[in-house]
Amino acid sequence: MSSVGHADFVVTQALPAARPKARVVPLTLVTISVGGLFMLPLFVESTYILHMMVLIFINVIVGSAWNILGGYTGQYSVGHAAYFGVGAYTTMMLLQFRQVAPWIGIWAGAGAALVTALIIGSICFRLRGPYFVLASIAVAEIFRVSALNLKNITNGAEGILITELPPLKIGETVITDWSEKIPFYFTGLIFALIVIVVSRMVLRSKLGYFFQAIREDQDAAHSLGINPTLYKNSALALSAIFTSLAGSLYAVYVGFIDPSTVLGLDLSVQIVMICIIGGVGTIFGPVIGALVLVPLSEALRSNVITDLLIRSGIVHEDSKVGAFLKENLAHAHVLIYGILVVIVILFMPEGILGFFKKLAARRRKA
Amino acid sequence: MEIFIQSLISGILIGGVYALIGIGLTIIFGVMRVINFAHGDLLMLGMYATYGLFTIFHIDPFVSILITAPLLFLFGAFLQKVFINRVLGALPQNQILLTIGLGLIMSNAMMLAFTSDYKILSTTYSSSSVKILGISISSPLVISFAITAAITAALYWFLLKTNTGQAIRATAQDREAARLMGINVKRMSIIAFGLGTALAAAAGGLISPTYYIFPQVGSVFTLKAFVITVLGGMGSVIGATLGGVLIGIAESVGGVYIGSGWKEVIVFVLFLLVLLFKPSGLLGKSRT
Repeated sequence: MSSVGHADFVVTQALPAARPKARVVPLTLVTISVGGLFMLPLFVESTYILHMMVLIFINVIVGSAWNILGGYTGQYSVGHAAYFGVGAYTTMMLLQFRQVAPWIGIWAGAGAALVTALIIGSICFRLRGPYFVLASIAVAEIFRVSALNLKNITNGAEGILITELPPLKIGETVITDWSEKIPFYFTGLIFALIVIVVSRMVLRSKLGYFFQAIREDQDAAHSLGINPTLYKNSALALSAIFTSLAGSLYAVYVGFIDPSTVLGLDLSVQIVMICIIGGVGTIFGPVIGALVLVPLSEALRSNVITDLLIRSGIVHEDSKVGAFLKENLAHAHVLIYGILVVIVILFMPEGILGFFKKLAARRRKA
Repeated sequence: MEIFIQSLISGILIGGVYALIGIGLTIIFGVMRVINFAHGDLLMLGMYATYGLFTIFHIDPFVSILITAPLLFLFGAFLQKVFINRVLGALPQNQILLTIGLGLIMSNAMMLAFTSDYKILSTTYSSSSVKILGISISSPLVISFAITAAITAALYWFLLKTNTGQAIRATAQDREAARLMGINVKRMSIIAFGLGTALAAAAGGLISPTYYIFPQVGSVFTLKAFVITVLGGMGSVIGATLGGVLIGIAESVGGVYIGSGWKEVIVFVLFLLVLLFKPSGLLGKSRT
């Protein structure tokens, strides 16, 4: 990989002044926003905003996790619900049926997801392009139907509900009893930061260059001595572990899982959408995607949009349309995913982040 | 033994309808190399259209295919011209995501309009059955199989004998060569997508007397359609016909002997095995 290092060196040589300057601004921005996120619960008391933030963190984690496999390595898995569900189910089953605390179960879930990923990878990575996509969907569906049918260990379609969450203790001091949103907020934030930092480290490492070489041209990468099977499986393993962490976090936070919510095809599609809408193969793409998607679908779900339409006088509350929107719009929050993805694919195929980067580049030229 | 024969026959009968769904998907893939992830949602639209015609105008679901299929043909042609046509040269991932997005819009728009309640279209013959050689078979299945056979025969005639049909097959074989021979490839794409949609709508109409109708019903059929087309070989119409019947039998017989909850697993395991050991499908020639 000396050639890659060399290329990097040339860039630094050619732009000696521009590089450090360009780095200082984003670095301060990142530091300020991360600091702000850690301080946020001090100023914000609204549980609704904290709830939204937790959901955003979970989405950032799954989005970034998918991005490692789909964005950097170019393997479009539309079956990531399998790893999300394996994590969620392992944690929940250990908690409800074996009384294992979730902060231990979550690592068991990650281990289970890793094993799953290695098995699935060894089967599905023989396939390429659309065939890989179809195989990944089929595998996730096998998991969903199995969870539905193995009633004695998964509770089947009834799902698993947390009846009691043990308090987190160090020695005898209780740190939190999980009755508020704040502990979940910090757990989510820390996990999301870890996943983003690891993504960045991977992207800038030798491993990341191998991933990208496979994405650009698998056969050419292979002929240069990069073992595609090995590195595709490594990308999947990393991706699956992070996805399962998000799954476990979601399960414990919401307190309830069933096969269709944590193993369904809808979830797999939503995971891909986070990256597509934000920008595939970029570190901050999934962050942008989560920031756009979560508030939008939550606004639809909680009828904020209907309230706005009524309050602004566009739709009358007592009219048929108003009643209809109030009744139904909340159920159709996935509609926004559909509309957004069609717009993004047709008009900004590099995602929101790529679109604005291009716009900025054009302005600089002009 | 009687149970086996009974499940085998009902498998073949339902397999005929599956074949129709698979043929629609395979024609679209053959001509445009686009995997249509909204295929099941188009079928769902066909089901709702049939349901609407039945409840408002009291048109028999099997007769209403004459209305719903042409309507959905136009809708499919519209989808191709406005959306799919723009991504024909794009990355396969983007094509897949676009059709997923369109499918989500369709199913959620239907949910918005008609809620996610299950609707049942019950005709006078919905639960009746006929006895053939001492084996009783649900009569809507028999009627729908007869109609499926007629539609499939007409389709084969269209593809093999008419000029447009031959042009569609030529486009599927080699888009560039077809263009050089003076075939209007763009038009063929529009017709192919319309045709695929009309077939999905017809299948939707055919199963509506025996199936629950709800906005999310599509995804089950989208997955089934993939299995069928991959099994038969992507782009092969005969393969899709065979694949449909095979999946019908596997589901029906497997459901009886392994348990109805597991029948989907049987289908997906079969799918993975074919993908791994014969990715070109049972009748496919090449992968590209």
